[in-house]
Amino acid sequence: MPLFKTVLYSTDFSPLAETALEYVKKLKEAGAKKVIVTHVVTSLSIELPEGTDLMNSEILSNVLPKADQLYVTSIIEKLDRIKKNLEFNELEVEIALRYGTPGDEIVNVAKEKGASVIVMGAHGKGLLTEILLGSVSVDVMRKAECPVLIIKKREE
Amino acid sequence: MLFEKILYPIDFEKHSLEAKPYVLKLKEAGCKEVHILHVLLPSEWGLLPKEEYDSIEKVEGLKSALSEGYSDALIKRFKEMEELAKEFEENGIKTKVVMIPGELDEVISNYADKYGVKLVTLGINAASLSIFRVGKIMDVLKATKQPILIVKSESEE
Repeated sequence: MPLFKTVLYSTDFSPLAETALEYVKKLKEAGAKKVIVTHVVTSLSIELPEGTDLMNSEILSNVLPKADQLYVTSIIEKLDRIKKNLEFNELEVEIALRYGTPGDEIVNVAKEKGASVIVMGAHGKGLLTEILLGSVSVDVMRKAECPVLIIKKREE
Repeated sequence: MLFEKILYPIDFEKHSLEAKPYVLKLKEAGCKEVHILHVLLPSEWGLLPKEEYDSIEKVEGLKSALSEGYSDALIKRFKEMEELAKEFEENGIKTKVVMIPGELDEVISNYADKYGVKLVTLGINAASLSIFRVGKIMDVLKATKQPILIVKSESEE
């Protein structure tokens, strides 16, 4: 049964996201074949439509100001390193880099790509913050149509 | 090691059982042991002695603390949990079946810590994550330190 076939791995490049990556690799043994490495950019010097694909070279070269180009390029480099890491583990990898609201965009990418499961870290903000603002992980859990594997921040 | 020991809390509703195929599948990623836990909520069962009821004998021992209908219902549930455990055992996964009185978040997080659980798998109803329902599942998500796999079902409660 292809329960874990396509994994959406959401990263903010934090150490917790690195921990979550280990779970993604492990899911290969439970049938994972493809990983969508996803990052959502929330702030640029110009406003773009929600969900803009920042892997689109046209947008990168012709729409974004120079400073944003450099910033987005540095993110693409980080995503490429994760891609190579996963490919080394014999997983097929696609990168999704979007502009917008992280919770919404992670769920949108999951739907578009037919993700079987979303894997992400949860930093765990205060109760009140979560209720009022909704942390990204809670937002994803609420809106995702597929299972979500949340890696919690361990309090050492 | 990441999925070696899984805690699988169930409430006997359809949605909690929908997580089962995922737990079974994780055997291929190293799951060796599954603990099937049913939390006996005070709102449902009253205040019961706080113990781990992990055998039919122990559950039967609760007869004195419960009225007859309740006690029979509890025994029936334990047997259903044992049936569920058989499916895992048949797939080569070691199991433990246990009922514990208390609040959902407290019991699940304490149990996961005590037994070195690597992953908590929750099969839940989508409505239980609603922004209007702050309690229960959200409390479990906050209280549990271990990774959590949420398998959401859209079915009616």
